[in-house]
Amino acid sequence: MATRNRTTVYRKHRDACKSARAPLSDSFGGPVIEMVSGSFARSNHSSYAPLSTNDPGPSSSNDDAFTIGLPPAWVDDSEEITFNIQKVRDKMGELAKAHSKALMPTFGDNKGDQRVVEMITHEITDLLRKSEKRLHNLSSRGGGPSEESNLRKNVQRSLATDLQSLSMELRRKQSTYLKRLQQQKEGQDGVDLEFNMNGKMSRMDEDEELGGMGFDEHQTVTLKEGQHVSAEREREIQQVLGSVNDLAQIMKDLSALVIDQGTIVDRIDYNIQNVSTSVGEGYKQLQKAERTQREGAMVKCAMILLILCFIMIVLLILKNVLF
Amino acid sequence: ISRRRSDRAVESTMALVTSVRDYINRMLQDISGMKVLILDSETVSNVSIVYSQSELLQKEVFLVEMIDSISASNESMSHLKAVYFVRPTSENVQKLRHQLANPRFGEYHLFFSNLLKDTQIHILADSDEQEVVQQVQEFYADFVAGDPYHFTLNMAANHLYMLPAVVDPSGLQRYSDRVVDGIAAVFLALKRRPVIRYQRTSDTAKRIAQETAVGEIKLMYQQESGLFDFRRTESSPLLLVIDRRDDPVTPLLNQWTYQAMVHELIGLQDNKVDLRAIGSLPKDQQVEVVLSSEQDAFFKSNMYENFGDIGMNIKRMVDDFQQVAKSNQNIQTVEDMARFVDNYPEYKKMQGNVSKHVTLVTEMSKLVEARKLMLVSQTEQDLACNGGQGAAYEAVTDLLNNESVSDIDRLRLVMLYALRYEKENPVQLMQLFNKLASRSPKYKQGLVQFLLKQAGVEKRTGDLFGNRDLLNIARNMARGLKGVENVYTQHQPLLFQTMESITRGRLRDVDYPFVGDHFQQGRPQEVVIFMVGGTTEESRCVALQNSTNSGIRFILGGTAVLNSKRFLMDLEEAQRISRSGSHMV
Repeated sequence: MATRNRTTVYRKHRDACKSARAPLSDSFGGPVIEMVSGSFARSNHSSYAPLSTNDPGPSSSNDDAFTIGLPPAWVDDSEEITFNIQKVRDKMGELAKAHSKALMPTFGDNKGDQRVVEMITHEITDLLRKSEKRLHNLSSRGGGPSEESNLRKNVQRSLATDLQSLSMELRRKQSTYLKRLQQQKEGQDGVDLEFNMNGKMSRMDEDEELGGMGFDEHQTVTLKEGQHVSAEREREIQQVLGSVNDLAQIMKDLSALVIDQGTIVDRIDYNIQNVSTSVGEGYKQLQKAERTQREGAMVKCAMILLILCFIMIVLLILKNVLF
Repeated sequence: ISRRRSDRAVESTMALVTSVRDYINRMLQDISGMKVLILDSETVSNVSIVYSQSELLQKEVFLVEMIDSISASNESMSHLKAVYFVRPTSENVQKLRHQLANPRFGEYHLFFSNLLKDTQIHILADSDEQEVVQQVQEFYADFVAGDPYHFTLNMAANHLYMLPAVVDPSGLQRYSDRVVDGIAAVFLALKRRPVIRYQRTSDTAKRIAQETAVGEIKLMYQQESGLFDFRRTESSPLLLVIDRRDDPVTPLLNQWTYQAMVHELIGLQDNKVDLRAIGSLPKDQQVEVVLSSEQDAFFKSNMYENFGDIGMNIKRMVDDFQQVAKSNQNIQTVEDMARFVDNYPEYKKMQGNVSKHVTLVTEMSKLVEARKLMLVSQTEQDLACNGGQGAAYEAVTDLLNNESVSDIDRLRLVMLYALRYEKENPVQLMQLFNKLASRSPKYKQGLVQFLLKQAGVEKRTGDLFGNRDLLNIARNMARGLKGVENVYTQHQPLLFQTMESITRGRLRDVDYPFVGDHFQQGRPQEVVIFMVGGTTEESRCVALQNSTNSGIRFILGGTAVLNSKRFLMDLEEAQRISRSGSHMV
């Protein structure tokens, strides 16, 4: 794949043009004044600083060239969201580790590990939700379609895509964690999960039942313990499911912003066309709205006048009737 | 040496789409921060057809503008870096001049799709007083790569190739320059230097071939060459420049394979279909859809299938989708819900795809029914492939009398008849012309005769109807005896024969001479066939040919992608100009 770099040739020409231009400004005014005002003239006329002849690079000349363009405020928002996304990515790594630790079969109670898992999941979900709210801020400000709004819209889309893929990754991790938890639970207790979930309210009854069935004490104790542990597990699973639901909500909101790949909306030329047509459309809509508003006002006036006339007629009739 | 040769082999099998994508990737990858991509009216097609908006967003390109509209606003956006990708035309250079003199963006990175002249560099450097330009590069993505082995130049004034040079010399020069630039870009993208042959009977083809050769030599002597592997060896690729008029039959025929059919009946531009062209659609339907073999797996496997098979495949796709939809509705447990939300993006994509294909096929079926295209196409194929002048005359006359047949179809039928039976029974031919003129009020008088003048039997090189060459006659007879699988897809474009001749090393020098002192001993391994005047469904033939392991890779390119409407438009325009020209003389 051939390419050709013309930058060196270009720079040579540019420098040649620059040096051809610089001596021109010296020829302003007489020879005496020239000494003094020459330097003034130079710094006023030229848009770069030729005094520093070793050109340190375009960045410095940019500073003199035009008023330093500070990026608009919304760029801060987008930068913060990007920062959050990076934090989420780091936390995902931590979560993976915490998951595997919590799933490791231990003799003791691994509540601590599970709490760590919960905590990290919460943090991630929080970050995602915060970012998503900020994302909506990116669009709500500002007026009609323009380059700036198009730019904002595209930044928003890109961040939405990132957030969505992160949410999906989190969901996938959670569902595998969930599944493995269930497997462990089944393996440990040898009791059907669903049975337990349904039966969690009726534990009291079961107690009696079990007593009634004539289990001996040892077995009852083991069963009770088993039930406690499975109850624990259930609660964890419920919590995980809860955060799954939260994420589902976030994803639904995001999917409106994300581009469907492979469709017409994903075409660059379509997007360019659309900006120009939507500006036209917007203007037409504005005109229509203005028209209807004006007409609406007129209709209101007419109605009021009619009502007034009607009232006057009634009063007239009343006057005639009463007198 | 052996390693270098294998490297070259790998490079030469690169599809064109990949080349353009690589160029764009390289443009964007080394520039950090928020970028704005600025294109002109031609490069926007080059880029849009291979690169998607979401991919641009991933590369932090958050705004795409046209070079014309960027100067409309004075708003400074210095937090953005501007990446220009435009053709090195004088208009673009002028616009750039103004934009560099009043820069809106922080940095400017200029990429041109073809070779820059030194004067152009001077002009730009002169106007860059604020030194905002960081780099100036030439990235040769100067063509529209619709499919891996098919490209087009999307030229507007395509009809110029039909006119002699004296009619519009400057126009023809511009035409030829654009073609030469496009071809040069293809070979620079492939990084190979070709051996050039052209069709003897076409002046335009000869001119383009010679100018390409001259351009090559100029490049070779440039200081920073290394652009080409300029050893012309046995395995140099072959560039064959041919003329559309050698095969006027293929663009006139109605098409029945998916991609070609969509282009013929509705219109495919840069892999986009504009459904507004066919009128009545419910409000919520997609108005424009994308048919890209790179992004749509169903399309990729069906683009060269014929209409009947497509129908079956679409039905299968709809059935699959309905099953998925049903299982999605059957949500009972929390796990089902979670799975639904997980799979929702996939589901939505599948739904969009299914609806797109179903809409297209439905609309096309409606058109086929309304225009009685099955009937018309059968006669067309007979005219193109089988013999029997008398029967052909009867069939064409019947269809001309048929009220449901549209004007454009009538015109096509008469043209096909005229091309086939140009010399037989001139009385009946005249009768057909008159009937056509009386039946079609909008018919431009003498258009068929004009076609015959351009592409009649005396002007053609190849054996279009398989009745010149003994071998072809025998082949046709054999085919007739064997019977044909599908009446509607009998016709094989002439290009197929040309490719076969190249594969067998039997392309005749007398018909397709070499340019200048070019010569090639054996068979080439890679062949670029450029058709001046435009390509049609011949891209299907190229894809088919490439899938056989003949050891040769073909790439097809043209000045435009034709359907019958476009071909007829070019013909009418050429006729109009030549008429007005003759009046002036």
